[in-house]
Parts: sequence; structure tokens; C-alpha cells
Amino acid sequence: MQPDESAGALTPEQMQERLSYNIEKDEVYTGDMPARFLEVFAAILKHSNYRQVIDNYSRVTARCANCAPSCQIYQHTGAPEDVPCYRSHLLIDVYRRHFTLRGVLEGRLRGFEPLTNDSILEMAETYYHCTACRRCTLECPLGIDHGLVTHLARYILSELGLVPRALVISVREQLEGKTGNTSAIPFPAIADTIEFLAEEIEEEKALKVEIPVDQEDRDYIFFPAVSDYIMEADTLMGIATLINAVGDQDKWTIGSQYLDGINYGLFYSDWLLERILRKEIDEAQRLRAKAILIGECGHASRSAKAFIRTYGGGDKAPPVYNIIEYTYRKFKEGAFKLNPDVITEKVTYHDPCNLARTGWIVNEPREILRSFCKNYVEMTPNGSQNLCCGGGGGSVSVDEIRGYRTGVTGVKKAEQLAATGAKFLVAPCANCKKQLKELIQDHDLDMEVVGLHDLIYKAIVLETS
Amino acid sequence: MLDNLLELARGPLLKFSLLLMALGLLRAVLLQIWELGWAWSRAGDHFIPWSLTLRRNLAWLLPWRYLRVLERRLYNFTSFLFHVGVILVPVCLAGHVAIFKESFGISWPQLPQVAADWLTGLTLLAIAGLLFGRMTHRASREMSKPQDWLLPLLCAAPFISGWLAAHPAWCPVDLRAIYLVHLLSAELLLVLVPFSKLVHIVLFWVSQGSTELGWRFVPGSGERVRVTLGKEGQGV
Repeated sequence: MQPDESAGALTPEQMQERLSYNIEKDEVYTGDMPARFLEVFAAILKHSNYRQVIDNYSRVTARCANCAPSCQIYQHTGAPEDVPCYRSHLLIDVYRRHFTLRGVLEGRLRGFEPLTNDSILEMAETYYHCTACRRCTLECPLGIDHGLVTHLARYILSELGLVPRALVISVREQLEGKTGNTSAIPFPAIADTIEFLAEEIEEEKALKVEIPVDQEDRDYIFFPAVSDYIMEADTLMGIATLINAVGDQDKWTIGSQYLDGINYGLFYSDWLLERILRKEIDEAQRLRAKAILIGECGHASRSAKAFIRTYGGGDKAPPVYNIIEYTYRKFKEGAFKLNPDVITEKVTYHDPCNLARTGWIVNEPREILRSFCKNYVEMTPNGSQNLCCGGGGGSVSVDEIRGYRTGVTGVKKAEQLAATGAKFLVAPCANCKKQLKELIQDHDLDMEVVGLHDLIYKAIVLETS
Repeated sequence: MLDNLLELARGPLLKFSLLLMALGLLRAVLLQIWELGWAWSRAGDHFIPWSLTLRRNLAWLLPWRYLRVLERRLYNFTSFLFHVGVILVPVCLAGHVAIFKESFGISWPQLPQVAADWLTGLTLLAIAGLLFGRMTHRASREMSKPQDWLLPLLCAAPFISGWLAAHPAWCPVDLRAIYLVHLLSAELLLVLVPFSKLVHIVLFWVSQGSTELGWRFVPGSGERVRVTLGKEGQGV
């Protein structure tokens, strides 16, 4: 235990010293932090649906540590603080002590252990160690979703200003900045990129592709992680080529007013989650698109799939698809051909947690990959029991904790990758790609991280060519 | 004196503890249903895959589900065996079924005495195993609260005393004292059910659904939280 510094308020500098990630020092709450924490917690319990679930958890948890072995951080460190249930109890105990009759009575009887600055800072640190991959959730007999607890804890902490600066800056630009996206790319630059990508494809594949912008009444409005325009151009080229090759070029569009699928709200704030998704919904409505198509990005897909219905009017909301679902449908229709002689190297597939944990997208990419990659291998465990890349829950965007991500959370993943001996590591998620690239660098692995559509781009057989 | 106490434990105390448990569990169920319903009514997305959530719960009734995680395999399976014993023995013991038939006129299949003896032994072993597992797993040990240690011990008391009552030849003390221990420890356990983690007897069945509803957010809740906190109109 750290010495209790809870007497009096902490300065932002004192708080920063205790955290491994950078906070915005002028945004952090500097008054009576424990009191404010409880105020925020109370406000969230009042206006949201968390009370029933936290109450349930606070009554039933058995502290059996069955979740421990499923957590790749615990697997690496073996430290009790890294057991999912221990971490969740930091918040559940605050709930129990301050928001239940039993907790208050017990406090009166046994002496009240007040919430301290120390415990708040412990939460602020440890809830960002968790990557919210939710693997532990599968192993809890009592159905406790530690990912949900992490999400709620981060939400409360964010209202105190205890949140990685890197995430806040991106969201601020996305919601209130001039460019309206997390990478702060002005639309004209994106339009140039789109044009450039189309030229590239034409040059390499002799295929004239259309990447439509602001077209109305299309079947799909496309939201990739905006960073793909700079970082993962191959993925976008693969997607554009595929859509054109199957003859769907007049069925999709990108919106110039809003085009970013990234949603850090999923990682730390319901308030922001909703505001970001409303931008997606508004843009889809503006262009009267029938469905929302998300690019190769796990959290963008899950945040849209799980919550567009919430903020878009339930059944009235446009359906949400991940691009892999689209590609798989076309694959089953036999709408495109892949040359099995192009990718001869060993290929493996990494399941992004936000696609695979619930079993949403597991077999589709595998079936496609197996059809044209002769040398396809699985890593174990995989599918809904996959290991997280180590950069989930937004941590990948926090550059100052790279050492922790590749040296602690990602270690088991690195071992898993090394065991496959694969050359191509397919990871259809912008977050996973960045983390896996760093992991490969820091662990000296000889692999290349690619998207699913990068390989499709390489192997697709075009009639014109 | 002992006879009077025994009479008290056998009659009013037993009824009281059964009633308190039943009412406590009923309260827990009704409150949970009320809370779930309220959450559902506020959620922006009313679609809940109930059959899927129930299946996720039911999966934990299967023994092999407990064998998946290697490190805690033995502990988990012990936990499964413990649950089998702790449910089957008290509910299906011939003596207990007879008492119920006498009092309420209802009955159900009973365990043969030999099976009950074996299950009692198994349950006691499982309790020892669970405590040992909790003690030797650092994370579990450090997380544990008093009830995590005391409840398994308390569970053992009616099993040991019950077995001695059924095998008087082995009983070292006055049989009535053993009966008293048996009744009182079981009654204490019943009373504690609604107030301890044992409430999972009923809440287990909705825990996955509760999680599912926890992820069903309330439109506008984020903004309302900001207003409550006096941060209306402030930027990101």
C-alpha cells in the first residue's frame, strides 16, 4: 500500500506522479476528490441503467478468482491486483459501502472506511491496465462482466478529469474541432487521399474504381477508423477494390460531413459514446443511407453495432454491418475470385476482441482466408476465447504506456504469435494493428501485420487484368 | 432444558428461518425484476436476447464448463461437486422429505441413506477443498471477505451434525445436542441466505440478463449526468 495522501486535496502534479499515462492537468478536479467521486457515481447511477447490474454484482460475487487465469495480464504478472475480480471490487465495494443500506449499516457498526484519494488513484491506474477485452467474463459462473465494471469506473473517473489525455484530445477534435475526426485530417486532405487511392488501384490493378462521396440513397454509408486513411491505406484499397469488383460501386458512399468510425466513448464515457454515434446517425440520415458499414475496426464496429439501436430509435435505427460481414456475403455469393497462388507465406488470424468475444465475427474471415491462403494456421486460443492484442480499451492510443502494453499486457499475445511462425498476421482492427506492430517490433518477431482486405487486394482476380 | 431448546429449534425457529429465507429471496427476486424492468423501460434499445442470456447461465450447470480454465480446474470442479451435495442432501434426504410431507403434505423423490452418506462425505471434502483452494490461491485469499471463509464452515456444521444424527453409534455426545447443533446451524444458514452472497441461489438465474441490460444505455443519460454535475454546456 502507498502511504495515504488523502488528507486534503491533491495537486494535478501529485496525481500525475501516480499515473502511468498523461492526464490533462488543467482539466482534472482539484477539490475534495472522494466527495466528487461519489457525486459523479450517484449522478450516473441515477440517470443510467448501471444500478441494477452493479447491485447484482455486489450481492453475488464469490471472489473465487476463477477469472484470474483467463486474464493475460494476470497470467504474466501473477499479481493479485491484476485479477479481474479484484479490480472490479475496487468499484463494487465503493458502491456497496456508499449506495446500499447494508453497506451504510455495516459502516456504522464496524467503522467507516472512507473513500480516499489513494483508492481513487489506484482505480484511475488499474482500470487503464485492463484492456476491457472481456475474456474473464466468459469464466465467471456468476456472469459478472468485468469489462462493464471497467467501463463504468472509467466513466466516473473521466468526469473527474482522470482519463488519458491522448483519448480526450482525439475526442475533442472529433466532436468540437474543425476537422471533425480523431486524426484531425481536414476533409480536403481526405478527398485527396481518396483520389490518390483510386489512382493507385488503377495503376496496380488496371481497375477503375469509384469511391463515392456524399451520394444519397445508397445501401451503405461507410465509416472506417479515420486513421486508416493515413495508416492503413492498403486496407481501404482492398475494400474499395472489392466493392468495385463485385459491381457494388454505386451502392456505397462516404459522407463528407462525418466519416470517422472511431468512438473512444466506448472506452470511457457514455456521454461521448452517444454524441459520437449521433454524428454517425445524422450523417446516415443526411445521405438517406440504408445501412451503416464499419471498416476494419473492432471497437468502431462494436460501438455502432451495440449502440446505434440505443441512440437511433431501436428498430428504426439503420442496421450496422462490419465490412467483413459484407465481404463474406459476397464471398458466399461467389461474386469475386481470389487467386490461391498469390499468398504462399504462412498466414494467421488475430481475433479482435470486439468482433469475436461475443461470437459475432469468428468464422467468416477464416473461411475467406482458408479459401486462398494455402498455408493458413490458427493460433490458440482463438475465436471467442482469443487473447487480446494487449492494446484494447483505448490503451493503444496512449503512447506513453507502450512499454506496459508490449511488456505486460501483450506478452502472452507475443508468445502466441511467435508460436505460429506466420509471416502474415491478419488483424482486421485499426487498434489491434497498431498494437501488434509495436508488439512485433518490441519482441523482435518476423511478421507483417495486415488487414483482411490487404490480402484480398493482393489476391483478388479482376476480369480486366 | 435441552429438550425445550430442541423443541424451539424444531418448531418455531425452523418455521421462522424458512419463512425469513423465502421472504428474503422473494424480495431479492422481485426487486431484481423491478430493477430489470425499469432498466428495460428506460433503455434506448429494447431488444434483449433472453434465451441467449439464459443459456449462458444454464451452461454453468454443466460439470464440464468448470474444467475449461486449467489453473483453477480442480477448485472449480470441487465447487461444482459442493453444489451438488449442498443441494441434493438437504432437499432429498429421506428424513427431511418425511418432515415436509408431515407438515405440508407435499413430497418428492428421496435419496437412499447410503447415497446421502456418500454425498455428505463428498460435500465435506468439497468444503475442505474449497477452503484449501481459497487459502492457497494468493489472489483469491487476498480478495476474500469474512463471509467467504465463514459460510463454507457454517455449511459444514449441519452436514457433520446431520451425519452423526443419522449414525448414533458414532456419536460421542448426547444425540439431542447434536440435533440441536444440526437445527441451529442449518437455521442460521437459511436466515443468512438473503443477506449474504448465498442470495445467488436466485440471482444467479438473472445475472447474465442483468449484465445484458447493464449494456442497454439510456439515451440522453450522459447529458443528464453533466447537468446534475453542473457541467452543462462545458466542452469535452
